Amino acid sequence: MNDDLLDKDERFLNAEKKMSRLVLQASKKYKTPVNAMFTRLSDFTKAVSKGLIRWGRVNSLWPAQFGLACCAIELMDFGAARIDAERKGYLLFRATPRQNDVMIVAGWVTKSMVPRVKRMYEQMASPRYVIAFGECATSGGPWWESYNIIQGIDQVLPVDVYVAGCPPQPENLFAALMKLQEKIRDKHAGSKEPTISEDIKRAEISGIHLPEEDNSSRL
Amino acid sequence: MSIVRINVGPIHPSTHGVLRLVVDLDGDTIVNVEPHIGFLHRGVEKLMENRMYMQSQSYTEKLDYLAPFSWDELYTSAVEQAMKKEVKPDAQILRVIMLEYQRIASHLVWLGTFCNDIGQIFTIFMWSFRERARILKLLEDLSGTRMFYVNLRLGGFYKPLPKNFKDRAYKLNEYLVEKISEYKDVIEPDPVFNERTKNIGVLPKDKAIELGVAGPVLRASGVRYDIRKAMPYYIYDKLKFKIPIGYKGDNFDRYKVRYEEIFQSIKIIDQALDMLPDNPDILGQPIKLINPNANPDIVVVHRELPKGEGIIYMVPDKQRPYRISLRAPSFINTFAINEISKGYKYADLFANLGSLDIVLAEIDR
Repeated sequence: MNDDLLDKDERFLNAEKKMSRLVLQASKKYKTPVNAMFTRLSDFTKAVSKGLIRWGRVNSLWPAQFGLACCAIELMDFGAARIDAERKGYLLFRATPRQNDVMIVAGWVTKSMVPRVKRMYEQMASPRYVIAFGECATSGGPWWESYNIIQGIDQVLPVDVYVAGCPPQPENLFAALMKLQEKIRDKHAGSKEPTISEDIKRAEISGIHLPEEDNSSRL
Repeated sequence: MSIVRINVGPIHPSTHGVLRLVVDLDGDTIVNVEPHIGFLHRGVEKLMENRMYMQSQSYTEKLDYLAPFSWDELYTSAVEQAMKKEVKPDAQILRVIMLEYQRIASHLVWLGTFCNDIGQIFTIFMWSFRERARILKLLEDLSGTRMFYVNLRLGGFYKPLPKNFKDRAYKLNEYLVEKISEYKDVIEPDPVFNERTKNIGVLPKDKAIELGVAGPVLRASGVRYDIRKAMPYYIYDKLKFKIPIGYKGDNFDRYKVRYEEIFQSIKIIDQALDMLPDNPDILGQPIKLINPNANPDIVVVHRELPKGEGIIYMVPDKQRPYRISLRAPSFINTFAINEISKGYKYADLFANLGSLDIVLAEIDR
């Protein structure tokens, strides 16, 4: 068994050497700079796998089944028959954040909802993307003067795409998800900006008073 | 046996919004359900007291986002009463048509999500949203927007009726009757649906009156009470329609009452369309200040919303309401969840909650 394994390793190393030699030869032949080519097989495989992973990420964005207010009805319409969302890879809405890639914040976010939304975002696996869907999630909408509302989800979470409208049509959400796909392809999305829990200063700047969670009746 | 306390929500796919339920369980049997609300509270009444009369229209319609026009109409008629303004006869007919289309749209969304809760995943949901999209398209051409139509003005509407509206509405009604009557052939023979709805979540007649529940929840318990019959407004006293009621008050009766109401609404629309002239005079005036000489009294308006009886109590002032108070039917219906879930299994909780048809924005206000 061990000998077989060794043989395989040797074969792999030989293949790598052979590959790098071929690449060097090719670079000499076509007079391209060596840096531009893959000099080692591991780099080559890494590049291929990275591209593959990104391709997979782009084409299977799973949104969260998470609605707050009126815009959630348009979110339901987006999941219904009129717009066939699956043809672009926006698969089933999942009810657990652990299976989600995109969080679509649909509706106004009250101060008592902020810790819950934040916790849900933190439960999602990285890379994770956020879409602010509608006026309320973008800027507070018609409630911007209210005492119990935060003026946009971007005070708490890093937002990738904003969708305007009250409520935006389901077609707009489709366009927003296509925009997000473009951003992921170009590596700009999935912002690594710290959230409020990581960066207390940001919370102070935006002036949000986060209420303490009541643990009285939690499991 | 010790009692286990389970927390459900506020982020949960089956609570129809951000409702939190604290459930006490004895084994698998529910002992007590305590709804915790307020996760969508944004102070609508206070905001409306600080806005001009016309600006508040966009607040009222976001209360019940399944039937935005119903609340919008309720608020506008409160302002009309304060200003002592009559609604034009043609506009009354068109308002009834829009109100009933909104009732159908609201019940269709409820039917789709209720079937999802019960276990008929996505079949009825897809169908009901297909029909709802047709209704929204017709109303979009009438008003200009898809969901939130701020198209009510004093005494009428802000836009003339589009051409071919009547023909399109007649055709849509035929389509709706044909398609929606297919639903029951899928829903009712299903053993899962019957097991989870019949004799589950029973709300007796006396308890329903005691709790003060409204709308289809009350009527499913056998109380024949509908504002459209009890205190007719607009042209409802000239129309022929029935008030469907249930007998047991279980989940199946609540489904059946709403399902029958859809057909009654289509009947109402057909009759109202017959009454509507070809070139109706429906244009209203913009809502401006209340004339100080009018000396307005306190206004109380009742309307039959898709969820139940909605009331606006308003103390008018010249520019803006001095005090406005809203009675949301979902608020009272939510607290029937304890009564109808006690003694049933935990698995029935979401069937019971779904059958109440609540909208959280209306509850939290």
